[in-house]
Amino acid sequence: MLAKLFSVTKRYGKTDGVHDLSLELHPGQAVGLLGLNGSGKTTTLKLLAGMLFPTQGSVEVLGQPPRANRGQIAFLSDADNLYAWMTPTDAERFMVGLYPDFNLHRYRELLAFLEVPKQGYRSMSRGQRARLRLAMVLARDARLFLLDEPLSGIDVISRDRILKSLVLEWRDEACLVLSTHEVSEAEGIFERVLLLKEGRLALDARAEDLRARGQSVKDAFIEVLA
Amino acid sequence: MWNLDVEAGPIYTQIVRGVERMLANGKMKPGEKLPSARELAAELKVNPNTVIHAFSQLEMAQMTETKRGLGTFVREDVNVEGIRLRILQEAAFRFWSEVQSLGLGLEDAQQALKKASPNGQREEP
Repeated sequence: MLAKLFSVTKRYGKTDGVHDLSLELHPGQAVGLLGLNGSGKTTTLKLLAGMLFPTQGSVEVLGQPPRANRGQIAFLSDADNLYAWMTPTDAERFMVGLYPDFNLHRYRELLAFLEVPKQGYRSMSRGQRARLRLAMVLARDARLFLLDEPLSGIDVISRDRILKSLVLEWRDEACLVLSTHEVSEAEGIFERVLLLKEGRLALDARAEDLRARGQSVKDAFIEVLA
Repeated sequence: MWNLDVEAGPIYTQIVRGVERMLANGKMKPGEKLPSARELAAELKVNPNTVIHAFSQLEMAQMTETKRGLGTFVREDVNVEGIRLRILQEAAFRFWSEVQSLGLGLEDAQQALKKASPNGQREEP
């Protein structure tokens, strides 16, 4: 097992971000973390990344608290959070200094495949920015990849490229958790889908099992939320 | 070429059917190399494990074989005619159940088929 949430509740003031959430993540899995806005997707990812601490319950990555295993966790935030002046080359230096597992060769391949321009972050389109930030994260030799809404609000060509690079960068020893509320486009790459509803796990299923019952992931999503 | 539809059952079955269809209509030939599981997964934007599952089904059905270090190939002795007839028969079953659901019979079905075919008999306008 790669990571585990055990009976985790995260409270913000009086409301629960997630409530009594338990799940296990395994190597080789591509997991879709689905739910509406405010359902607890980002909270779940940040708990796994060690960026939030549970109010109750425990989180483990490779048998330790996430903070003790930060080198194994690659987190892509949904915030547009790079320095405006940074070019992809600056970003490379930044990542090399920060993460010993940063794979330069893979980073350059990803920049080429994702067609990231060499200019500064400030002058990039939203899709180009998303592709640069994804390349920075995927170039790490981490075990747990947590991608928060990498597909939302960007153009269709960028989304297509991002999905393809996720498949091409697939590694058996790693687990990928991708949160999205745009289910249809990404559903083919998920082996497993977790559906959050109001901070609780409403569905945990294999995507092919749903389809064998004649249901797309999107159908299941709508059924659970309706 | 593949026409995947997430509403139409498991993706691995659709990949298997896609290969069968390409064999039946000649777009894929005996002895031909299939793309690697990873390449096909990227092209279709599906999980690589799904493609690996589809490839193992094709191999079990003796349509393909894996040559070590070389990749997956369509078998030379694959029964293309058998696959073609099976796909045709499946289409016929679907057509026939539509005919029955309309309360029609074999003669109506035959007439409809003739009309659908450009070489069939057509009523003069």
